[in-house]
Amino acid sequence: MALLEIKDVSKYFDDKEVLKGVSLKVEKGDVVSILGASGSGKTTFLRCINYLENADSGVMVFDGKEYDLKASSRKEMTEIRKKTGFVFQNYNLFANKTVLENVTLGLTSGRKIPAGMAKDRAVKVLDKVGMADYLDYYPSQLSGGQQQRVAIARALATDPEVIYFDEPTSALDPQLTAEVLQVMRQLAKDGMTMIVVTHEMSFAKEVSTKVVFMADGVVVEESTPADFFNNPQDPKTREFLAL
Amino acid sequence: MFNEKTVELLVSSFPKILEYGLKVSLPLAVIAFILSTILAVFVAMAQFAKVPVVKDICRFYIWIIRGTPLLVQLMVAFYGLPLLGIHSNPFLMAVIVFTINEGAYSAETMRAAMESVPRGQLEAGYCVGLSYMQIMWHIILPQAFRTAFPSLFNALISMVKDTSLASSITVVEMFTRTKQIAGQSYNYFPLYIEVALVYLIFCTVLTFIQKKGEKVLGSYGVRK
Repeated sequence: MALLEIKDVSKYFDDKEVLKGVSLKVEKGDVVSILGASGSGKTTFLRCINYLENADSGVMVFDGKEYDLKASSRKEMTEIRKKTGFVFQNYNLFANKTVLENVTLGLTSGRKIPAGMAKDRAVKVLDKVGMADYLDYYPSQLSGGQQQRVAIARALATDPEVIYFDEPTSALDPQLTAEVLQVMRQLAKDGMTMIVVTHEMSFAKEVSTKVVFMADGVVVEESTPADFFNNPQDPKTREFLAL
Repeated sequence: MFNEKTVELLVSSFPKILEYGLKVSLPLAVIAFILSTILAVFVAMAQFAKVPVVKDICRFYIWIIRGTPLLVQLMVAFYGLPLLGIHSNPFLMAVIVFTINEGAYSAETMRAAMESVPRGQLEAGYCVGLSYMQIMWHIILPQAFRTAFPSLFNALISMVKDTSLASSITVVEMFTRTKQIAGQSYNYFPLYIEVALVYLIFCTVLTFIQKKGEKVLGSYGVRK
Protein backbone atom coordinates (compact mmCIF):
# COMPACT_ATOMS: atom_id res chain seq x y z
CA MET A 1 0.00 0.00 0.00
CA ALA A 2 1.23 3.42 -0.87
CA LEU A 3 2.16 5.69 2.03
CA LEU A 4 0.36 8.54 0.38
CA GLU A 5 -2.09 8.68 -2.47
CA ILE A 6 -3.49 11.94 -3.72
CA LYS A 7 -6.38 11.89 -6.15
CA ASP A 8 -7.74 14.53 -8.43
CA VAL A 9 -6.82 17.77 -6.67
CA SER A 10 -8.28 20.89 -8.22
CA LYS A 11 -7.89 24.46 -7.13
CA TYR A 12 -9.15 27.80 -8.38
CA PHE A 13 -7.73 31.22 -7.63
CA ASP A 14 -10.74 33.38 -8.38
CA ASP A 15 -11.73 32.29 -11.89
CA LYS A 16 -8.40 30.76 -12.79
CA GLU A 17 -8.09 27.02 -12.46
CA VAL A 18 -4.52 26.48 -11.29
CA LEU A 19 -4.84 22.75 -10.54
CA LYS A 20 -6.92 20.64 -12.89
CA GLY A 21 -7.16 17.26 -11.24
CA VAL A 22 -3.66 16.37 -10.08
CA SER A 23 -2.99 12.88 -8.73
CA LEU A 24 0.12 11.43 -7.19
CA LYS A 25 1.09 8.19 -5.51
CA VAL A 26 4.03 8.09 -3.12
CA GLU A 27 5.58 4.95 -1.66
CA LYS A 28 7.58 4.92 1.54
CA GLY A 29 11.14 5.96 0.80
CA ASP A 30 10.25 7.69 -2.46
CA VAL A 31 11.93 10.92 -3.39
CA VAL A 32 9.53 12.61 -5.78
CA SER A 33 10.76 15.64 -7.69
CA ILE A 34 8.02 17.87 -9.08
CA LEU A 35 9.33 19.92 -11.97
CA GLY A 36 7.65 22.53 -14.12
CA ALA A 37 7.74 26.14 -15.18
CA SER A 38 6.69 28.89 -12.79
CA GLY A 39 2.92 29.06 -12.65
CA SER A 40 2.43 25.40 -13.49
CA GLY A 41 0.76 24.80 -10.12
CA LYS A 42 3.42 22.68 -8.44
CA THR A 43 3.76 24.86 -5.33
CA THR A 44 -0.03 25.19 -5.02
CA PHE A 45 -0.31 21.42 -5.22
CA LEU A 46 2.17 20.97 -2.39
CA ARG A 47 0.38 23.58 -0.30
CA CYS A 48 -2.99 21.95 -0.89
CA ILE A 49 -1.89 18.57 0.43
CA ASN A 50 -0.74 20.18 3.67
CA TYR A 51 -3.84 22.40 3.95
CA LEU A 52 -1.92 25.64 3.53
CA GLU A 53 -4.35 26.18 0.67
CA ASN A 54 -7.88 24.90 0.69
CA ALA A 55 -8.35 22.70 -2.40
CA ASP A 56 -11.63 22.93 -4.31
CA SER A 57 -11.74 19.18 -4.64
CA GLY A 58 -9.48 16.20 -4.11
CA VAL A 59 -8.91 13.26 -1.84
CA MET A 60 -5.79 12.16 -0.01
CA VAL A 61 -5.21 8.71 1.42
CA PHE A 62 -2.50 8.90 4.06
CA ASP A 63 -1.51 5.75 5.97
CA GLY A 64 -4.72 4.13 4.76
CA LYS A 65 -6.96 6.89 6.05
CA GLU A 66 -8.92 9.03 3.65
CA TYR A 67 -9.00 12.82 3.87
CA ASP A 68 -11.21 15.16 1.88
CA LEU A 69 -8.86 17.98 0.91
CA LYS A 70 -11.74 20.42 0.44
CA ALA A 71 -13.52 19.79 3.71
CA SER A 72 -11.24 18.34 6.35
CA SER A 73 -11.85 19.12 9.99
CA ARG A 74 -9.33 21.06 12.02
CA LYS A 75 -8.49 17.82 13.80
CA GLU A 76 -7.73 16.08 10.52
CA MET A 77 -5.56 18.96 9.37
CA THR A 78 -3.52 18.81 12.56
CA GLU A 79 -3.28 15.03 12.19
CA ILE A 80 -1.75 15.38 8.71
CA ARG A 81 0.52 18.23 9.72
CA LYS A 82 1.86 16.20 12.63
CA LYS A 83 2.78 13.39 10.24
CA THR A 84 4.48 15.66 7.73
CA GLY A 85 7.22 18.24 7.58
CA PHE A 86 7.25 21.30 5.36
CA VAL A 87 10.26 23.26 4.14
CA PHE A 88 9.47 26.67 2.62
CA GLN A 89 11.22 28.57 -0.12
CA ASN A 90 11.88 31.49 2.21
CA TYR A 91 12.61 29.28 5.27
CA ASN A 92 9.98 30.88 7.55
CA LEU A 93 11.98 30.26 10.69
CA PHE A 94 10.28 31.77 13.74
CA ALA A 95 11.96 35.18 13.90
CA ASN A 96 11.59 35.57 17.67
CA LYS A 97 13.01 32.15 18.49
CA THR A 98 16.57 30.88 18.56
CA VAL A 99 17.73 28.03 16.36
CA LEU A 100 17.19 25.58 19.20
CA GLU A 101 13.73 26.94 20.04
CA ASN A 102 12.74 26.83 16.38
CA VAL A 103 13.36 23.10 16.38
CA THR A 104 11.96 22.27 19.83
CA LEU A 105 8.72 24.30 19.65
CA GLY A 106 6.88 21.72 17.55
CA LEU A 107 8.00 19.04 20.01
CA THR A 108 7.28 20.73 23.32
CA SER A 109 4.17 22.72 22.43
CA GLY A 110 2.91 20.74 19.47
CA ARG A 111 3.50 17.25 20.85
CA LYS A 112 3.92 17.71 24.61
CA ILE A 113 7.38 16.15 24.65
CA PRO A 114 9.34 17.10 27.80
CA ALA A 115 11.82 19.94 27.28
CA GLY A 116 14.90 17.84 28.02
CA MET A 117 13.99 15.15 25.52
CA ALA A 118 13.02 17.77 22.95
CA LYS A 119 16.40 19.42 23.32
CA ASP A 120 18.29 16.15 22.87
CA ARG A 121 16.27 15.42 19.77
CA ALA A 122 16.81 18.96 18.43
CA VAL A 123 20.56 18.86 18.94
CA LYS A 124 20.69 15.54 17.15
CA VAL A 125 18.87 16.77 14.04
CA LEU A 126 20.71 20.08 14.06
CA ASP A 127 23.94 18.12 14.13
CA LYS A 128 22.72 16.19 11.13
CA VAL A 129 22.32 19.38 9.11
CA GLY A 130 25.58 20.82 10.46
CA MET A 131 23.96 23.52 12.59
CA ALA A 132 24.56 22.21 16.11
CA ASP A 133 27.07 25.01 16.79
CA TYR A 134 24.40 27.68 16.33
CA LEU A 135 21.82 26.75 18.99
CA ASP A 136 21.53 30.23 20.48
CA TYR A 137 21.57 32.20 17.23
CA TYR A 138 18.51 33.99 15.93
CA PRO A 139 17.47 33.40 12.31
CA SER A 140 18.45 36.94 11.33
CA GLN A 141 22.04 36.17 12.31
CA LEU A 142 22.31 33.27 9.86
CA SER A 143 22.88 33.04 6.11
CA GLY A 144 20.06 31.82 3.90
CA GLY A 145 21.66 28.41 3.54
CA GLN A 146 22.06 28.09 7.29
CA GLN A 147 18.46 29.16 7.85
CA GLN A 148 17.23 26.60 5.36
CA ARG A 149 19.25 23.86 7.03
CA VAL A 150 17.71 24.79 10.38
CA ALA A 151 14.29 24.70 8.68
CA ILE A 152 15.07 21.20 7.46
CA ALA A 153 16.10 20.20 10.98
CA ARG A 154 12.85 21.68 12.28
CA ALA A 155 10.89 19.55 9.83
CA LEU A 156 12.99 16.51 10.62
CA ALA A 157 12.75 16.81 14.40
CA THR A 158 9.12 15.78 14.56
CA ASP A 159 9.96 12.48 12.90
CA PRO A 160 7.58 12.97 9.96
CA GLU A 161 6.59 10.23 7.53
CA VAL A 162 7.17 12.55 4.61
CA ILE A 163 8.77 15.96 4.17
CA TYR A 164 7.49 18.43 1.58
CA PHE A 165 10.02 20.82 0.11
CA ASP A 166 8.73 23.89 -1.68
CA GLU A 167 11.58 25.15 -3.89
CA PRO A 168 13.99 24.94 -0.96
CA THR A 169 16.96 26.41 -2.83
CA SER A 170 15.28 29.02 -5.01
CA ALA A 171 16.24 31.89 -2.73
CA LEU A 172 19.88 30.83 -2.42
CA ASP A 173 23.05 31.48 -4.37
CA PRO A 174 24.85 28.47 -5.94
CA GLN A 175 27.18 27.90 -3.01
CA LEU A 176 24.42 27.97 -0.40
CA THR A 177 22.25 25.89 -2.70
CA ALA A 178 24.97 23.24 -2.70
CA GLU A 179 25.07 23.02 1.09
CA VAL A 180 21.30 22.64 1.31
CA LEU A 181 21.19 20.04 -1.47
CA GLN A 182 23.92 18.13 0.31
CA VAL A 183 21.69 17.85 3.37
CA MET A 184 18.76 16.76 1.23
CA ARG A 185 20.83 14.11 -0.52
CA GLN A 186 21.79 12.72 2.86
CA LEU A 187 18.14 12.60 3.93
CA ALA A 188 17.25 10.72 0.77
CA LYS A 189 20.06 8.28 1.43
CA ASP A 190 18.73 7.73 4.94
CA GLY A 191 15.43 6.65 3.43
CA MET A 192 13.34 9.74 4.17
CA THR A 193 10.24 10.04 2.01
CA MET A 194 10.33 13.40 0.27
CA ILE A 195 8.26 15.37 -2.20
CA VAL A 196 10.39 18.14 -3.64
CA VAL A 197 9.16 20.99 -5.81
CA THR A 198 12.36 22.16 -7.42
CA HIS A 199 14.16 23.75 -10.32
CA GLU A 200 17.34 21.79 -9.52
CA MET A 201 17.66 19.40 -12.45
CA SER A 202 20.71 17.67 -11.07
CA PHE A 203 18.89 16.89 -7.84
CA ALA A 204 15.89 15.53 -9.72
CA LYS A 205 18.16 13.46 -11.93
CA GLU A 206 20.52 12.06 -9.34
CA VAL A 207 18.55 11.82 -6.12
CA SER A 208 14.90 11.31 -6.89
CA THR A 209 13.19 7.98 -7.47
CA LYS A 210 10.36 9.58 -9.42
CA VAL A 211 10.00 12.70 -11.50
CA VAL A 212 6.68 14.45 -12.02
CA PHE A 213 6.45 17.15 -14.65
CA MET A 214 3.60 19.65 -14.38
CA ALA A 215 2.36 22.27 -16.82
CA ASP A 216 -0.77 24.44 -16.67
CA GLY A 217 -2.17 22.68 -13.63
CA VAL A 218 -1.90 19.09 -14.87
CA VAL A 219 0.68 16.32 -14.58
CA VAL A 220 2.08 16.01 -18.07
CA GLU A 221 4.57 13.26 -17.46
CA GLU A 222 5.50 11.00 -14.60
CA SER A 223 8.41 8.57 -14.79
CA THR A 224 11.76 7.51 -13.43
CA PRO A 225 14.53 10.10 -13.63
CA ALA A 226 16.35 8.02 -16.25
CA ASP A 227 13.33 7.84 -18.53
CA PHE A 228 12.35 11.42 -17.87
CA PHE A 229 15.67 12.95 -18.79
CA ASN A 230 16.78 10.51 -21.50
CA ASN A 231 13.52 9.57 -23.10
CA PRO A 232 10.87 12.22 -22.50
CA GLN A 233 7.54 11.30 -24.09
CA ASP A 234 5.46 14.45 -24.10
CA PRO A 235 6.32 17.37 -26.41
CA LYS A 236 5.88 19.79 -23.50
CA THR A 237 8.48 17.86 -21.50
CA ARG A 238 10.88 17.93 -24.39
CA GLU A 239 10.38 21.64 -24.74
CA PHE A 240 10.94 22.16 -20.99
CA LEU A 241 14.14 20.09 -20.98
CA ALA A 242 15.47 21.82 -24.06
CA LEU A 243 15.42 25.14 -22.20
CA MET B 1 7.08 87.86 40.80
CA PHE B 2 9.85 85.41 41.60
CA ASN B 3 10.53 86.87 44.98
CA GLU B 4 11.63 85.05 48.11
CA LYS B 5 8.05 84.21 49.01
CA THR B 6 7.44 82.57 45.67
CA VAL B 7 10.56 80.49 45.97
CA GLU B 8 9.47 79.40 49.40
CA LEU B 9 6.04 78.47 48.04
CA LEU B 10 7.57 76.46 45.21
CA VAL B 11 9.83 74.58 47.58
CA SER B 12 7.11 73.84 50.12
CA SER B 13 4.57 72.82 47.49
CA PHE B 14 6.87 70.57 45.51
CA PRO B 15 6.56 67.53 47.80
CA LYS B 16 2.78 68.00 47.97
CA ILE B 17 2.46 68.11 44.20
CA LEU B 18 4.85 65.21 43.73
CA GLU B 19 2.95 63.20 46.34
CA TYR B 20 -0.26 63.42 44.33
CA GLY B 21 1.64 62.62 41.19
CA LEU B 22 3.06 59.46 42.68
CA LYS B 23 -0.05 58.52 44.63
CA VAL B 24 -2.75 59.31 42.07
CA SER B 25 -1.72 60.42 38.58
CA LEU B 26 0.99 57.85 37.90
CA PRO B 27 -0.88 54.84 39.37
CA LEU B 28 -3.98 55.84 37.43
CA ALA B 29 -2.03 55.94 34.19
CA VAL B 30 0.00 52.79 34.81
CA ILE B 31 -2.89 50.63 36.02
CA ALA B 32 -5.14 51.78 33.19
CA PHE B 33 -2.31 51.25 30.71
CA ILE B 34 -1.70 47.66 31.81
CA LEU B 35 -5.41 46.82 31.79
CA SER B 36 -5.94 48.56 28.46
CA THR B 37 -3.07 46.62 26.89
CA ILE B 38 -4.65 43.32 27.98
CA LEU B 39 -8.00 44.48 26.64
CA ALA B 40 -6.34 45.59 23.41
CA VAL B 41 -4.73 42.19 22.85
CA PHE B 42 -8.10 40.46 23.01
CA VAL B 43 -9.82 43.04 20.81
CA ALA B 44 -6.96 42.88 18.29
CA MET B 45 -6.97 39.06 18.29
CA ALA B 46 -10.71 38.85 17.70
CA GLN B 47 -10.26 40.99 14.61
CA PHE B 48 -7.06 39.31 13.46
CA ALA B 49 -8.69 35.89 13.73
CA LYS B 50 -11.90 37.28 12.20
CA VAL B 51 -14.09 35.77 14.91
CA PRO B 52 -17.66 36.19 13.65
CA VAL B 53 -19.87 38.65 15.56
CA VAL B 54 -17.15 39.29 18.16
CA LYS B 55 -15.05 41.13 15.59
CA ASP B 56 -18.04 43.32 14.72
CA ILE B 57 -18.60 44.11 18.37
CA CYS B 58 -14.93 45.05 18.59
CA ARG B 59 -15.19 47.34 15.56
CA PHE B 60 -18.24 48.99 17.12
CA TYR B 61 -16.40 49.53 20.40
CA ILE B 62 -13.43 51.09 18.64
CA TRP B 63 -15.73 53.27 16.55
CA ILE B 64 -17.54 54.66 19.59
CA ILE B 65 -14.49 55.23 21.74
CA ARG B 66 -12.32 56.80 19.07
CA GLY B 67 -15.19 58.98 17.94
CA THR B 68 -15.88 60.66 21.27
CA PRO B 69 -13.69 62.81 23.55
CA LEU B 70 -12.14 61.31 26.65
CA LEU B 71 -13.55 64.14 28.73
CA VAL B 72 -17.08 63.35 27.54
CA GLN B 73 -16.53 59.65 28.25
CA LEU B 74 -15.49 60.51 31.80
CA MET B 75 -18.63 62.59 32.27
CA VAL B 76 -20.89 59.94 30.80
CA ALA B 77 -19.43 57.37 33.17
CA PHE B 78 -19.60 59.69 36.16
CA TYR B 79 -23.23 60.63 35.68
CA GLY B 80 -24.38 57.53 33.81
CA LEU B 81 -23.11 54.64 35.89
CA PRO B 82 -24.93 55.71 39.08
CA LEU B 83 -28.18 55.73 37.03
CA LEU B 84 -27.50 52.06 36.34
CA GLY B 85 -27.04 51.49 40.03
CA ILE B 86 -23.26 51.29 39.78
CA HIS B 87 -21.60 53.42 42.41
CA SER B 88 -17.88 53.41 42.75
CA ASN B 89 -15.24 55.82 43.86
CA PRO B 90 -14.05 58.36 41.31
CA PHE B 91 -10.54 56.92 41.10
CA LEU B 92 -11.84 53.48 40.17
CA MET B 93 -14.19 55.05 37.67
CA ALA B 94 -11.30 56.95 36.12
CA VAL B 95 -9.29 53.72 35.85
CA ILE B 96 -12.19 52.06 34.04
CA VAL B 97 -12.75 54.93 31.62
CA PHE B 98 -9.05 55.35 30.85
CA THR B 99 -8.74 51.57 30.31
CA ILE B 100 -11.68 51.44 27.92
CA ASN B 101 -10.52 54.56 26.13
CA GLU B 102 -6.91 53.53 25.68
CA GLY B 103 -7.92 49.94 24.90
CA ALA B 104 -9.57 51.09 21.67
CA TYR B 105 -6.46 52.87 20.43
CA SER B 106 -4.04 50.17 21.55
CA ALA B 107 -6.21 47.50 19.94
CA GLU B 108 -5.61 49.17 16.59
CA THR B 109 -1.90 49.40 17.30
CA MET B 110 -1.79 45.70 18.20
CA ARG B 111 -3.90 44.66 15.22
CA ALA B 112 -1.62 46.50 12.82
CA ALA B 113 1.43 44.96 14.51
CA MET B 114 -0.08 41.47 14.26
CA GLU B 115 -0.86 41.98 10.61
CA SER B 116 2.73 43.07 10.00
CA VAL B 117 4.02 39.64 11.07
CA PRO B 118 4.66 37.75 7.81
CA ARG B 119 2.04 35.12 6.98
CA GLY B 120 4.78 32.53 6.62
CA GLN B 121 5.26 32.59 10.40
CA LEU B 122 1.69 31.36 10.87
CA GLU B 123 2.06 28.75 8.13
CA ALA B 124 5.31 27.46 9.58
CA GLY B 125 3.60 27.19 12.96
CA TYR B 126 0.85 25.06 11.47
CA CYS B 127 3.39 22.88 9.70
CA VAL B 128 5.24 21.97 12.89
CA GLY B 129 1.93 20.91 14.43
CA LEU B 130 1.02 23.93 16.55
CA SER B 131 -2.57 25.01 17.11
CA TYR B 132 -3.77 28.49 16.20
CA MET B 133 -3.67 29.63 19.82
CA GLN B 134 -0.18 28.20 20.31
CA ILE B 135 1.04 30.06 17.24
CA MET B 136 -0.57 33.22 18.59
CA TRP B 137 1.06 32.83 21.97
CA HIS B 138 4.55 31.73 20.91
CA ILE B 139 5.01 33.42 17.55
CA ILE B 140 2.58 36.13 16.50
CA LEU B 141 1.97 38.00 19.78
CA PRO B 142 5.63 38.24 20.85
CA GLN B 143 6.63 39.58 17.45
CA ALA B 144 3.65 41.92 17.31
CA PHE B 145 4.28 43.14 20.84
CA ARG B 146 7.86 43.96 19.96
CA THR B 147 6.66 45.99 17.00
CA ALA B 148 3.86 47.68 18.94
CA PHE B 149 5.92 48.43 22.05
CA PRO B 150 7.10 51.96 21.13
CA SER B 151 3.58 52.98 20.07
CA LEU B 152 2.04 51.48 23.19
CA PHE B 153 4.54 53.29 25.34
CA ASN B 154 3.76 56.46 23.48
CA ALA B 155 0.18 55.98 24.59
CA LEU B 156 1.26 55.53 28.19
CA ILE B 157 3.16 58.81 28.09
CA SER B 158 0.10 60.50 26.64
CA MET B 159 -2.07 59.01 29.33
CA VAL B 160 0.12 60.28 32.16
CA LYS B 161 -0.72 63.78 31.01
CA ASP B 162 -4.37 63.02 30.28
CA THR B 163 -4.87 61.95 33.90
CA SER B 164 -5.37 65.65 34.63
CA LEU B 165 -8.79 65.22 32.99
CA ALA B 166 -9.77 62.96 35.88
CA SER B 167 -10.14 66.14 37.91
CA SER B 168 -13.41 66.63 36.06
CA ILE B 169 -14.90 63.67 37.90
CA THR B 170 -13.63 64.84 41.29
CA VAL B 171 -10.43 62.78 41.36
CA VAL B 172 -7.89 64.85 43.21
CA GLU B 173 -4.80 64.15 41.14
CA MET B 174 -1.62 66.07 40.69
CA PHE B 175 -3.04 68.96 38.69
CA THR B 176 -6.07 69.43 40.92
CA ARG B 177 -3.81 69.42 43.93
CA THR B 178 -1.69 72.10 42.29
CA LYS B 179 -4.80 74.20 41.61
CA GLN B 180 -5.77 73.91 45.25
CA ILE B 181 -2.37 75.09 46.43
CA ALA B 182 -2.39 77.89 43.89
CA GLY B 183 -5.84 78.94 44.99
CA GLN B 184 -4.72 79.27 48.56
CA SER B 185 -1.74 81.44 47.66
CA TYR B 186 -3.20 83.31 44.66
CA ASN B 187 0.14 82.60 42.97
CA TYR B 188 -0.92 80.57 39.97
CA PHE B 189 1.72 81.00 37.31
CA PRO B 190 4.82 79.68 39.14
CA LEU B 191 2.90 76.69 40.47
CA TYR B 192 1.63 75.74 37.03
CA ILE B 193 5.17 75.92 35.73
CA GLU B 194 6.18 73.71 38.62
CA VAL B 195 3.53 71.07 37.92
CA ALA B 196 4.43 71.17 34.23
CA LEU B 197 7.99 70.32 35.21
CA VAL B 198 6.82 67.41 37.34
CA TYR B 199 4.85 66.01 34.37
CA LEU B 200 7.98 66.49 32.28
CA ILE B 201 10.06 64.58 34.81
CA PHE B 202 7.57 61.71 34.82
CA CYS B 203 7.58 61.50 31.05
CA THR B 204 11.36 61.72 30.88
CA VAL B 205 11.65 58.78 33.25
CA LEU B 206 9.11 56.84 31.17
CA THR B 207 11.04 57.57 27.99
CA PHE B 208 14.13 56.17 29.67
CA ILE B 209 12.18 53.06 30.70
CA GLN B 210 10.95 52.69 27.12
CA LYS B 211 14.53 52.64 25.82
CA LYS B 212 15.46 49.99 28.39
CA GLY B 213 12.31 48.03 27.60
CA GLU B 214 13.09 47.94 23.92
CA LYS B 215 16.52 46.53 24.75
CA VAL B 216 15.04 43.88 27.04
CA LEU B 217 12.46 42.83 24.48
CA GLY B 218 15.39 42.50 22.13
CA SER B 219 15.49 42.66 18.39
CA TYR B 220 16.07 38.97 17.84
CA GLY B 221 19.65 39.41 16.81
CA VAL B 222 19.01 42.17 14.29
CA ARG B 223 21.81 44.66 14.66
CA LYS B 224 20.72 48.25 15.06
